[in-house]
Amino acid sequence: MSIKNLIICIVILAGLVALPHFLAYNFQDLLIFLAVNVLVVVSYRLVTLTGEWSLIHVVMMGVGAYASAMLSKMAGFPFWISMPIAGLTAATIAALLCFPLFRMTQFYFLIGSFAAGEAIRLVWIYFIDPFGGSSGINNLPPPELGDIDFYEPIPYFYMTLIIVTISLFILYRIEKSRVGLTLNAVHWKAPLAESVGVDTWKYRSLALIVGSFFVGIAGALKVHYLGVVTPHQFGIGVMVFVLIWVIVGGYASFVGPIIGVVVLTVFDQGLRASGIVDPAVQPAVYGAVLIASILFMPEGLEGIGKRFFSKSSGENA
Amino acid sequence: MGITRRNLLRGTAAGIAVAGTGFSTQLLAGQKTVKIGLNIPMTGDYAPWGLPGLYGCNIVANNINAAGGVEIGGETYMIEPVGYDHGYDTEKAITGYNTLRHDDAAMIMMLGGSTVGSIIGRAQRNKMLVSTLLPSDITPDTSNLVAPSESHPLYNCTGVDWLADNFPDAKSAVIVTTNDIEYGQQSAAVYQAAFEARGIEVLDTNFHGFDVTDFAPIVQGLLASKPDIFCMATDVYTTPLIEALYNQGYEGKIISCTLDLYDEVIAKTSKEFVEGIIFQFPDFDDPALQSDDILFPDPSGFWDTFQKDYPGQWSAVAWEYPANLVTWVSAAQAAGSIEPMDVLAAMKANPNPPHVFGTGKWWGKDLYGLDNCVVGRWPVVTMQNGRARIVEFRDVGAWLDKNLDILKRKMQDLGLRTV
Repeated sequence: MSIKNLIICIVILAGLVALPHFLAYNFQDLLIFLAVNVLVVVSYRLVTLTGEWSLIHVVMMGVGAYASAMLSKMAGFPFWISMPIAGLTAATIAALLCFPLFRMTQFYFLIGSFAAGEAIRLVWIYFIDPFGGSSGINNLPPPELGDIDFYEPIPYFYMTLIIVTISLFILYRIEKSRVGLTLNAVHWKAPLAESVGVDTWKYRSLALIVGSFFVGIAGALKVHYLGVVTPHQFGIGVMVFVLIWVIVGGYASFVGPIIGVVVLTVFDQGLRASGIVDPAVQPAVYGAVLIASILFMPEGLEGIGKRFFSKSSGENA
Repeated sequence: MGITRRNLLRGTAAGIAVAGTGFSTQLLAGQKTVKIGLNIPMTGDYAPWGLPGLYGCNIVANNINAAGGVEIGGETYMIEPVGYDHGYDTEKAITGYNTLRHDDAAMIMMLGGSTVGSIIGRAQRNKMLVSTLLPSDITPDTSNLVAPSESHPLYNCTGVDWLADNFPDAKSAVIVTTNDIEYGQQSAAVYQAAFEARGIEVLDTNFHGFDVTDFAPIVQGLLASKPDIFCMATDVYTTPLIEALYNQGYEGKIISCTLDLYDEVIAKTSKEFVEGIIFQFPDFDDPALQSDDILFPDPSGFWDTFQKDYPGQWSAVAWEYPANLVTWVSAAQAAGSIEPMDVLAAMKANPNPPHVFGTGKWWGKDLYGLDNCVVGRWPVVTMQNGRARIVEFRDVGAWLDKNLDILKRKMQDLGLRTV
């Protein structure tokens, strides 16, 4: 990471630390969910680096969420232990799913991942004991750390910000490492990579497992603030939102999905607050945004930024 | 205590009279106002069980304010219902809860289910009073959560009891409902228990998903066992289910928890076909609700105003949230305070709490772990000449005293939580 990028990151983090103090209470909640969603989309991008788009990512988030919820509610584990175990549980389930799923590629993988995700969701719904059925598990304890009240949004946001920042740093380092380069090679030049001895199955699996680990952490972060975990929180509708955030933001670079989730969340809140669009038809608005994005912004929002900066630097030259 | 519940009802009635003369119901600057929050679904699939409640609360609050407000602890307060649409989403439910709490809501009313589950830990910590329409939300840890008006789905026992008494030849039933714990499965357990208690055999129970678009195969499968009774436990799809029954020529008895939008059902079937359907939710212009033992201010006037201001919006919850509001006013007057825990203490201190259909009793410890829901009389309603009309009131508490073991067993068979 260059000094310039490091400075930008520090400025953004400083801004995020100050931000909740300038926001109304309802927007402070939103900030927590936004931070969690940033981790969701960035971890999803790691999976897509290999060229495979899955529909199971949000369900993996649920696996982590349920693992943490059950450990803390039924076994009395503190959040600080149940959260990393949540990531490990999601990663383990992902590792098991690699065997059937990566026998397929592209469209077949997409459908296969959807089917696997729905199977997991149905397990949560039908097995009331121990998953709580459609009601899920209620009254989850928040994290405990000294006298800090994690029921309040600002302390919870700071904790989330720290965990998400560390996770993003690790994901960034993975992407920039030799492993990350190999994941790209698996996507764009799979036959060539295989010809030089790269095990593409192994790297695809690695991306799914690591992505699932981090989205499992995101799931734990989310449900311990919500206080409840239900199967409905991890349905295909939520996955569609993740896809839209990633596609509209752009997935060519690390920051694209982050731009997507931030811009669309602000857009969504703006629509809600303005009252211009009935909330019931907001999914249709999202669909229109997605279609417009594909037609007019094939590189997503990050493409606009790139073009703007390259134009500016061209003019300066 | 300054004002009794009865005085409040009288005051409300006076307020309606004053409102009729053109008195402004707008809140005036400088007046003390107490906010009652409604953290409910106003959009999405569950909107019919949220938004009409806000409309109803607005009517009741306008009437109280028009009568000069309500006196609590020597102060006169205007009532202001404040709604937040969580769209039955747990994330938004928390935002709604936090927003309403910081907006100084004295009580937060909710529909129930997972949205209550998401906020109740906070409510316990913040000492906030929360009401639900689903007593099954109550656990031993939720002392701040009360269900003072609706005892869903316990009251369904009254409909089955009435049916068994009046149609003794009906000896077998099938049940259909949604495959969710909060509404469908809880309701199915009560119906199963009620049928067993009256010696009616349940031939089949169908739990269907929320994604069903064609109910004909479900109905056909259930009718194959030739039941005497077709039972719809709490099901948001009553209209297409009855339509399928009509199309398949069913001639037996029909019993349902709700029959919202029955005009639509009649339009899709016929007045003759829906005649005699048994359910649990009356229209408030029902003659049986215009008596002194009904503890809801001017039910008929409330119904007329609702139909005029919000045509086509009436649902089962239209009067339930307002009933909770009336209960809160009564308890706040008894407490002489609007502080949530004072009001809760006053509510619980009354061993025979007021209930829309007459006084009830605090109940729930033997099933949910805490006596925080009110059970009392509940009406049995049938369709009569195209209108919902009460045929009888029956006592939910008495049925529970007699049949709790059966109910617990049925709930446990379905994997539902009991104590």
